[in-house]
Amino acid sequence: MYPFNFEYHKASSVSEAISLLNQHDGAKVLAGGHSLIPAMKLRLSDPGVLIDIGKIDDLHGINASKGAVTIGGLTTHSDLAASIVVPIGLSETAGTVGDQQVRNRGTIGGSVVHADPAADLPTMLVALRASFHISGPTGNRTVSAEDFFTGMFETDLEDGEILTAVEVADEQSGTGSAYSKLFNPASGYAMVGVAAVVTVASGKCTEASVVLGGLTPSVMVASSVADSLVGVKLEETSIAAAAEAVQNDLGSDVLGDIHASADYRRAMAPVYVRRAVAAAVERAG
Amino acid sequence: MSVAVGTVVEGMDAHNKVTGQSLFPGDLARPDMLHMKILFAGQPHARMDSMNTSAARSHPGVVSVFTAADVPVNEYGLIKADQPVLVGIGSNKTGGSVARFVGDQVALVVAETEEAAAEACGLIKVDWFNLPVITDPFESMKSDAPLLLPGQDTNIAKHNRLRKGDVRTVWNQCGSIVECVYETPRQEHAYLQPEAGLAYIDKDGIVTVEVAGQWAHEEQRQIAHVLGIPLDRVRVRHPAIGGAFGGREDISVQIVLALAVWRLAEQGILRPVKIVWSREESFLGHHKRHPYTIRAKWGANDQGKILAAEVELVADAGAYEYTSTKVLGNATMQCTGPYDIPNVSVDAYAVYTNNVPSGAFRGFGGPQGAFAAESQVNRLASDLGLDAVEMRRRNLLMDGSLGSFNMPMPEGVTIRQVVDACAHQARWTNKSYASPLSNHLRRGRGFACAMKNVGFSFGFPEECWAKIELHGSTEIERILLFHAGADCGQGAHTVLSQMAADACQVPLERVELRAADTSTSKNSGSASASRMTFMAGNSILGAAEVALHQWRSEERPAIGEYRFVPRQTTSLDDETGQCDPNISYGYVAQVVDVEVDTETGHVQVMDVVCADDVGLAINPQQVEGQIEGAIVQAHGYTILENFILRDGYVETPYFSNYLIPTSLDVPDSVEMVILENADPQGPWGARGMA
Repeated sequence: MYPFNFEYHKASSVSEAISLLNQHDGAKVLAGGHSLIPAMKLRLSDPGVLIDIGKIDDLHGINASKGAVTIGGLTTHSDLAASIVVPIGLSETAGTVGDQQVRNRGTIGGSVVHADPAADLPTMLVALRASFHISGPTGNRTVSAEDFFTGMFETDLEDGEILTAVEVADEQSGTGSAYSKLFNPASGYAMVGVAAVVTVASGKCTEASVVLGGLTPSVMVASSVADSLVGVKLEETSIAAAAEAVQNDLGSDVLGDIHASADYRRAMAPVYVRRAVAAAVERAG
Repeated sequence: MSVAVGTVVEGMDAHNKVTGQSLFPGDLARPDMLHMKILFAGQPHARMDSMNTSAARSHPGVVSVFTAADVPVNEYGLIKADQPVLVGIGSNKTGGSVARFVGDQVALVVAETEEAAAEACGLIKVDWFNLPVITDPFESMKSDAPLLLPGQDTNIAKHNRLRKGDVRTVWNQCGSIVECVYETPRQEHAYLQPEAGLAYIDKDGIVTVEVAGQWAHEEQRQIAHVLGIPLDRVRVRHPAIGGAFGGREDISVQIVLALAVWRLAEQGILRPVKIVWSREESFLGHHKRHPYTIRAKWGANDQGKILAAEVELVADAGAYEYTSTKVLGNATMQCTGPYDIPNVSVDAYAVYTNNVPSGAFRGFGGPQGAFAAESQVNRLASDLGLDAVEMRRRNLLMDGSLGSFNMPMPEGVTIRQVVDACAHQARWTNKSYASPLSNHLRRGRGFACAMKNVGFSFGFPEECWAKIELHGSTEIERILLFHAGADCGQGAHTVLSQMAADACQVPLERVELRAADTSTSKNSGSASASRMTFMAGNSILGAAEVALHQWRSEERPAIGEYRFVPRQTTSLDDETGQCDPNISYGYVAQVVDVEVDTETGHVQVMDVVCADDVGLAINPQQVEGQIEGAIVQAHGYTILENFILRDGYVETPYFSNYLIPTSLDVPDSVEMVILENADPQGPWGARGMA
């Protein structure tokens, strides 16, 4: 379908984009356009005004310095997948998004602010304890990934604000990150997506962060799984036992659709937790 | 001189399809044409109490609205005329005001633009009185179930009964007895070209419909029946057809297009009418592959000889008969496989429900029966500790075998050669083993074989007409071949031309085909039942013989016309099912390697080896295309596709939620073995291909 008519503005700086956003009620920010444009073409979304931020140089690029990696909001999934400075779990996650064409256009900022429960990057970013840099009419602020995602397609982002960058810590030796997912057979979206970040010292797990996507209306921190991992010698049986604890984290509100019922997703959750944790442990060395 | 048959020649449609020059029905246009939209019932089972079309009629751009009251003879159907053309008030057939599935058609809106027609459809007000909805064929079979069609005292459309030997007497001689229930799903044809067509009344007053179908003369017959006019007042022409797979065997837009131009002409409006269905309308509006529940109990002795097969099949026919009774016959045949089994008891039922009708779909009931039969043999082999191929070798049909219908098989039974060739090519062993990649992935391989009828079965009348004109003076400079056969993308027209060139011993370039038009051809039957190559080839051979005789008698042009009628098959005996079911068969065997994720249940098809005995590959490339396409479609049927109906409503009407295989899902290649053991009745020895 053709979308409804819309006005189009191209911003050349973050401040111009914010000012355009605040001049136009209901305006939407256009980045890679891989969630917004399909929604508009299906006429599920009718923003009336688009503010294209695609040409703002400040929002591009990945910079590593002083133990942190800053990823511009317009960084594409392909760039992330190819990056050797971001944590390996993050590049791995980006490489599983959609297909090559989607990865060449879709951006980390777009994926994060869209907050699709079946998206991949939010899950990994919460597990990596990323922080999000936001600019708005009243200035700049930083929010933790965990606090940013507030519900299905809902975030902490206020009207008139733009997510400018994502910051994650350098991956230290002894820490490994990994992502494992049950793909939607057509779109590649996560029907179950699990991100795991594990730190191992002297053969035992000293820190673990396990996060679930695709299963619940919003990204879910699997603290029961993490608690079961910490202090334990990580081997096949202990990882499998910890993975079973995911049922305590899931609660009753598990998503389901014609491609994978809620029961099936729930049954698959420990499988993918186990796979993600095992891969992260292997990378932790 | 090049002999065309048996060589690879480029498909005559290939260039134009690749370059976008072929005109499919949706591409057709005529000056001054109008556009039509259909209002579908959207009700699985309801009686129309009232309908108000006045807002639609006065909507800007609307030219006319037609309802049940406008249909001269409000009934149609390929085998039985049991479906109203339009459901509603004023129908002149009993039960014509009852919608029996969501895709029953209710009203036609003809307008200046498609948009105006669609808007006006939304303005039609219908009051429905809900009737009990039956979606489970087992519920529908019960004696106290509400009856779904008028004039019937049961919802069972057909019951086939086979009794050969006596299964009850041999169970105690069996070293292994395997009992299992198999359920096979619906499947959507998912052809690329949704239903579309253009109709007009030509200068001679002929109602002309240009549409994608599989059998022009049958479409002509049904249109003439509904309009109550003679056959020669109706012309059906097939332009390029974007896939069919059985999904165009039954009527979709043909009759309503004809009805619209016919009624408009009565109002003095002589304008063409065009319709193009959306994908959603296509998914709702045409039939699906029958879902089957098959309960099988088979027994074999310790040596692996199958002694008995007892099978019960229940097919969900959906709301109307379509080809259900014939599809049931094929499933009845295939459910005991290509095996010589001395004791057979089969009860097969096709049952009406309020689901989307079921009908023809590639294999025509065969895949469902074969799935049960082959699974049974594999289980018996495993239980007896026998190799799956060796188990088959001990039971396969051969020339002279009686088959489950208790009649000798047609000569040329080659299933043993096909099984051996397939096993050899695949270096057959059936051990499963762990994937080198991960310990939760396991690989295994399976073997299956089957036979497929060539031609209409069980007494359905079979004929195929062809005409050949030889032009030239001292040598044949040009051949005109007239034939009604539809090329649905399977390459039939190329193959027909090759056969005509070969029969007349002239180069292929000199053959000009006039195809798929009721105004230039007589009945050639449908492009279905794996019959077209076989029947058309025989009719072309006959026509060529007559034409060449005329040519030698100095007739210019020399004209040969021929109507090929094969051996008459017979229908099942009511008590025993004994009959001569089919003219001929093709045979197939496959080995498939799969990788299974034992933790998630995901199955990945790794390798496929497929051996087919086609008698003679008239155009080997087209045969390869058919095999590859069939394997991808079967892959989707088995692993990926999931057509969901809930309470009679379609929940998967889009390609975004009805997933068919893409290049990422299927193996890189299929290893094919094409055997050419001549069929004694086949043209050039050919068996079935499309």
